[in-house]
Amino acid sequence: MNGLEEFKDEIETCFGTSCGFCERGCPIYQAMKVKTLCMKGRNRTMLGLMQGKYEISPAVVEAAFECTLCGNCDRWCSLKNTEHTRAFREYLLKHGVEPFKEHASLVASIKNYGNPWFQPRSARNRWAKGLNIPKAAPGQQDVLFFAGCTSAVNKALVPGLVASAKLLQKAGVKFATMNQDEPCCGSTLLRVGQREAFEDLSKKNVEKFESLGIKKIVTACPGCYTTLKKVLEERGSKIQVVHIAQEVAGLVRDGKLDLRKSPERMTYHDPCHLGRLGGVFDEPREIVKAVANLVEMPNNRYESRCCGAGAGLQSAFPKLSRDLAAKRIAEAKSTGATTLVTCCPFCETQLKTVPGIKVVDLMELLLDSTAEEKEKRNGAK
Amino acid sequence: MAFRPHSLSPAVRPSGHTPCLMHDFVAQSSFCSRIPLMLVDMSYIDELMTALGKEKVLLDPAERFVYGADWSPRTPDEFFPPDVVVLPKTTRDVQRTVKIAYEHEMPVTAGGGLTGMLGGAVPIFGGIYIDTTSMNGVVEIDQKNQTIRVQTGATLQEVNDAVLPYDLWLPHQPESKWVSTVGAAIACDNDSTFGVRYGKILNCLLSAQIVTGTGEILELGHRKAHFTSSGYKLMHLLAGSEGTLGVITEATLKLEPIPSMRRVDMLVFPRLGAAVDYLNRLLKAGLCIEAAHINCKRRLKFYTHTYKQKHGRDPEIPAWAEALLAISFAGDQDVVDFQRAYAVKLAKEFEAQLVEERELVDSWWTSKYTLAFDPFKQKWPDSQTKKKFGAADPGVPVGRLEEFYHKFVEVAEKHRLEIIGMNAYLEHPNSIGFSLSCAVFVDYRSEDEVKRFREFHDELCKLAIAFEGTMSTFMSDTYQKAPYLELEHGPSLQYMREVKRMFDPKGILNPGKKFPREAKKP
Repeated sequence: MNGLEEFKDEIETCFGTSCGFCERGCPIYQAMKVKTLCMKGRNRTMLGLMQGKYEISPAVVEAAFECTLCGNCDRWCSLKNTEHTRAFREYLLKHGVEPFKEHASLVASIKNYGNPWFQPRSARNRWAKGLNIPKAAPGQQDVLFFAGCTSAVNKALVPGLVASAKLLQKAGVKFATMNQDEPCCGSTLLRVGQREAFEDLSKKNVEKFESLGIKKIVTACPGCYTTLKKVLEERGSKIQVVHIAQEVAGLVRDGKLDLRKSPERMTYHDPCHLGRLGGVFDEPREIVKAVANLVEMPNNRYESRCCGAGAGLQSAFPKLSRDLAAKRIAEAKSTGATTLVTCCPFCETQLKTVPGIKVVDLMELLLDSTAEEKEKRNGAK
Repeated sequence: MAFRPHSLSPAVRPSGHTPCLMHDFVAQSSFCSRIPLMLVDMSYIDELMTALGKEKVLLDPAERFVYGADWSPRTPDEFFPPDVVVLPKTTRDVQRTVKIAYEHEMPVTAGGGLTGMLGGAVPIFGGIYIDTTSMNGVVEIDQKNQTIRVQTGATLQEVNDAVLPYDLWLPHQPESKWVSTVGAAIACDNDSTFGVRYGKILNCLLSAQIVTGTGEILELGHRKAHFTSSGYKLMHLLAGSEGTLGVITEATLKLEPIPSMRRVDMLVFPRLGAAVDYLNRLLKAGLCIEAAHINCKRRLKFYTHTYKQKHGRDPEIPAWAEALLAISFAGDQDVVDFQRAYAVKLAKEFEAQLVEERELVDSWWTSKYTLAFDPFKQKWPDSQTKKKFGAADPGVPVGRLEEFYHKFVEVAEKHRLEIIGMNAYLEHPNSIGFSLSCAVFVDYRSEDEVKRFREFHDELCKLAIAFEGTMSTFMSDTYQKAPYLELEHGPSLQYMREVKRMFDPKGILNPGKKFPREAKKP
């Protein structure tokens, strides 16, 4: 049982405990109500497979892949459940299960284009046009702004990147980007079960970052944040990784941005990778509170509900993925807020597919709330 | 689906591999060595699919496998998977399922969160498993009359989430409330943290809808009235019935106003009996206690996870203390303050000492009730990587608590089990009646230790009856206690059998629980 044995003790511990507390917050289980689609049942599915009670079947594959790896189960448990699920996926792929075609295409694109979206490498730097951001060169800059594949090549998400860069510039932060040499962080590979490809990519990425002599990476994407942070820490790198919300919250706190607050009621959606998996809850809220009236959704912080986009669910199970987004939007609307703020390109794209509330990127919101931008808009009127 | 089929096993019923640990009548059950991919008799499955729709019927071996075990101590390969799982949405779906089962004489086991501590909802004879969690809708919230009507697959927490905006709550609160369903709470008659003020689920239950073993839909109870003196109280039969009389599909529950604040304290006593005497004194004084749990000294350690995390050691209590009483008062601040002060004053008469270290008290309460520390790290997986919690749940007369405690320790030691300790939960409104949790750690990877745990459990059952008590107070009978039902109930057991036959003439509902499964008529 190469691949699952590592977690045998934990899987048996879950069987021994069997509390099922993971069911309460699991977005997939709550939508489907099938016990294999929650961590307790998934652990049991792995246990049965290890014991030879049955062979790999369509339901086994669904148990492994019908999950956003949002980490809600880890919130309720001391076991490394999302790691079990990731290992479960790897195990199945090694044991004759062909990757979902949607996942295979993401993997092929990362290999050929350096991003999961079949966009040429040259597309990666279009967002930064006219911003005069220097290209990172060895020993030249301490701070690297890491745009991430999804925002960089998706026109709808570019304003968030532009806002991030402008805010850093306004506050006087000196930073560089890697332009079209910026690599994929490999998060997608890891989460759809392509561990070896991920390890190869990560090795090269760490070498690239180290060769630049940078001290800090500021990521725009929470997925890049958790992935790069873990990879660099595991490989003993001293490069610090922060999310843009953390970096900018510090600037807000230090009064480096001249902001205008509006009375508008806004709610904040914690991206799983930034919140539950990354432990960053306060900084985005500080930013929202600095420019608007923050109202919380019933499920927030550790108990925030996944938007449904993560870990290949959006591509392989689009209907279920959209159902999760609809639930989250309904929750946001129930707060009476006019706007839902988030700071993840996946969450933003996913939540915008459901009508009912305005969805904005945190950095765009903040930039729009600077005195300068407000004046510009007033002038234009 | 990009699934490449593997070589499939032939369709065979499992045989041969029967655990030596189970009672005789369970030995004929469907203990799983390898799950068949196809069933011998598929005709009733076809009927289920036609009646419910394919999407509500699960047949894949992996999907069925996960329903084959609950929270009870058992070895990791001891699963009893059903032959088919159905996911009903309505009472009608349940009715259709039971009618098909009745026609084919197939076992039907209904379950919720599968957090039972003794295998109550484990389908030991296979057949059809009804996963009621797919029926978790709110039918009606009647704010004026303080009631809620729900489908019984709703968890107790979901009920409370639904009524919180009305400043109401369902005070039946077992530790498993996050996943324990309303139906399971009724069918298992499980415990509640706040029993001494509000009682257990039966004190909250006004009416319940069931599907009997013939597929008939019945409403039992007294609508929204709080009690009745009319007719026989058939609804009461449901508490602890383990789904053997009917599948409970909807319930009307009485709600209570949420107290504005709660104060929890802990007192230590030189003897368990002194804690009992003290509680009696508080009740005599007219105090309204919200929760009261008497822990033996050993048991405290199981509930102080956050304390240990913070300080790297177990909390210290006086060496002379043998019992710890956790007690709460709830209501308006002035009333709570007065009651607490009065209770503390009376403690002196019983050689009790108030635990001043708030962290210890909060740690216990957090672990026991709120389960909301941050980040949440449940004590169970942490403490159960090697061994798991296993318990017997006897009830004994109030004056014999201490005597029974010593017997519990003796029996656990005799069976070479590591003792977690005893907890007495006051579960009867405004009276001293308690349920006991006599807990030990069980190395569930060891067949021998699981066997010794079951022997320990059985011995405590018999002992409790000899103590003029009962063998079960919150886990029900399941198959584990079934051999002792005659010892507990004597000739009245025959009347219970007759009641069972009236509701379930073919014995298809959760067979093997309470009574051995009766042979199929030729």
